[in-house]
Parts: sequence; C-alpha cells; structure tokens
Amino acid sequence: MTGTLAERQAELVAALVAGGPAPAGFAAGPLAAARAALRRKRAGEVARHWPLLAVGLGAAWPSTFADWAAERPTAGSLRDGWDLARALRERDALPPGGAEELAVREAGLRYDGRRAPRPRRLPAVARAGGAVAVQIAGRVRLVRPAARPPAHVGGRYS
Amino acid sequence: MTGPSGVGIGWRPEIAGFVAELPGLRFVEVVAESVPPTGPLPPGLAQLRERGVTVVPHGVRLSLGGAEPVDPTRVAHLAAVAQRVDAPLVSEHIAFVRAGGLEAGHLLPLPRSREAVDAVCANVARAQAELPVPIALEPIAALFDWPDDELDEGDFLTEILDRTGALLLLDIANVHANARNRGTDPLALLDRLPLDRIGYVHVAGGAEHGGFYHDTHTDPVPPEVLELVGALCARQRPPALLLERDGGYPPAAELRAELDALAAAGGFPAVT
Repeated sequence: MTGTLAERQAELVAALVAGGPAPAGFAAGPLAAARAALRRKRAGEVARHWPLLAVGLGAAWPSTFADWAAERPTAGSLRDGWDLARALRERDALPPGGAEELAVREAGLRYDGRRAPRPRRLPAVARAGGAVAVQIAGRVRLVRPAARPPAHVGGRYS
Repeated sequence: MTGPSGVGIGWRPEIAGFVAELPGLRFVEVVAESVPPTGPLPPGLAQLRERGVTVVPHGVRLSLGGAEPVDPTRVAHLAAVAQRVDAPLVSEHIAFVRAGGLEAGHLLPLPRSREAVDAVCANVARAQAELPVPIALEPIAALFDWPDDELDEGDFLTEILDRTGALLLLDIANVHANARNRGTDPLALLDRLPLDRIGYVHVAGGAEHGGFYHDTHTDPVPPEVLELVGALCARQRPPALLLERDGGYPPAAELRAELDALAAAGGFPAVT
C-alpha cells in the first residue's frame, strides 16, 4: 500500500468510473460489482433526464448506456445523456423519441460539449434523426417528428 | 422542533401525495441537496412543516470522508436547509463521493485506517462549526473493502463517533448488506456499536444480484432486515425508524404495509 489517502481515493474513483487501472490490493470481484452498481445508478439518473431516449432504446438502454459510460466519468446526468444522444445520432442509432428529445433540447439550449448548456438568445432550428425542432423567443416546437418504422398491418401486433 | 420519533419515511417528490396522506406521520427525511436554499419549499414539504411534522435534511454529497477538506459551500447549503425546515438535526454519511476531480456518483467506503479516521473527524468538525444543529453520521453499505483496513468496523465507527460527538444514524439494511457480503454476523456488530447514541434508524429494501446483496432502495424490505430491526429494538429501542424508498415505487398499499411492519417491529404506533 503506497500513497496518501487522497491519492488512494483518487486512484479508486478513477478505477470505478473512468476506466482506470484497479488499485493494488483490492479484490477484483467486489470492485467489479461496485463498478457495475455505480453504472446502473448513473444510467437510472440519466434516464430520468432523458426519458424518451431511455424508453426508446427499451431493453437495449442498460447495455447501450454501460458501453458508452464505461470509460467516461460523469459530467452530470443532463450532459451525459446529451453526449450519448449525440454519439447515437452520429451512428444513426437514435430511437425516434430520443431524436425528438435531442432536437427539442438543442433548439432551446446551446451546448458545446464542454460546459453546462445555456439558453439560446437567437431563434434556432435543430435536427436529429429526421426530427426538426424550432425555437423562437424561447418557445420550442417540434415541427417534424422523427421517422418511425412502418406499422405492422394485419400482423400479430395489429 | 422535536427530534425524530416513531415511524417516518424518506420524503421524495414521487411519493409526496402518499406521504401527505399518512395521518399519524410525525417525521420525514428529505435529501438536503434537493431542497433549494431560498425560495419556496417543494410543494408537499411545506404542508408537512405546517402540520408540525419533523423534517431532517439528509446530505448525500458532502463527502465527509474525502481526504480533502469538505466544500464550505456544500456545508453552508446543508446549514441553510436545516434552518429553512427548522430541523432538530441533520445527517450525512461516513463515506466519500469524489476524489481527484471525479464524481463517483454514489457513496464509497473509506479504508478503516487511522488516516481515514483523522480525515473524517476533521471534516465533521468543519461541518459542525457551521451547522446550526447536531449531525448524525450514517455508516454505509459497502460492496468492497480496502486492503488498508487497520480497525474493525465496530472500532472504526465508535472512534469516529467518540471523537466527533456526533449522533449515530444506523442503517439497519446496511448492517445486513455488509454482514451478508462479508460473511460476518450482523448481531455481533450491533453488540459493538454505541446504540445509545442513535438519533434514528434507516430501513430500506434491497436485492441479491450477481452474488452480492445490493442496498437498492428500490426493492421491498426483505424479512432478514425486518428481523434485524427487531433484534436492534430488543437491545435498545431507537427513537425513530425511517423507511427509505428511492425508486420502483410500489402501490400505496405495499408502502403502507412496509410502514406498518416497521411500526410492529419497533413497537411504535402505526402512522398509516
């Protein structure tokens, strides 16, 4: 065991939330359980800020979030969800509800990916996954919904 | 303002309506960081205060166990919330939540070392200097232990309580979780703790997952935890038992049944 308490605590947090190496002497199994538990808690908090994104991904939400978050420490739930939604937009992997949520947020707030989002002062148009949102004088409106997969007709879901 | 007494529940916006309709309720806890320091209180909480219900602010992000000095603005916020709700005491954890500029996102255990005892006692003293009311300290549920441990849990906690003069917020579900995950005897720990210093007791649900018991606060209170409440009350009945639920909210009838089970286990009047 080497290092001050401050160094040891920093090393441990980095290992748990930022993909850092496991500190010497800790049992691997319990540390992995703690890492997974922190990620589940974080996923739940992001889902509260981005409900349409999380619901849209459905059963894929926990693993999608976990893969994205594995080596990214949190920047707060709002920004975590925002960064993840942008990464999914890049890959055309946003669910329709998540695309609309992102377009509405981006029309209303300016977010540079580094600092807390701030309200826009000028009118703006934002697009994500086919969804288009417009903001004028602080009022945000979704003017075009995201494309949705065609509904089943006459099938077992009808 | 009277201290916590009887059976209480953690006030959360999602269950504010349920909590408002508990006729016998005398005591709630509120997450301190969720209460604004100025402006109106969250709806529901203000009505409870008007009814004379005791409100205890419960901090979750002070990081009293951090090696760095506790953030004075966080302490000032906790103090302001205590004043706003006319709290008889506040509570926080024997834990750290950030280090090296990174937020862990939840409570992490300290090494049970002399250095950590010194660090947490120094931070509690800094907080006590600014708080208008006493503080109760809560030992947490830990999924892992540090290799640095020099003290056992009983000595570690007793030394912190003795040196700080703080009250004990005993979370009986954490006692269960730690004993289950470490393979130790929860009753042996109860016999080592200064039970006469308990300000109030937390009770929460959890679930087995991947070979560990997780203190989720989103599952029902398991029978083992209720049995521990009984064992604690048989040794020394605490002034109050508080049910914590932080998600996966069940139908009202189930929450009422959990509150009634706590009342029965502790010999308190039902609040439902």
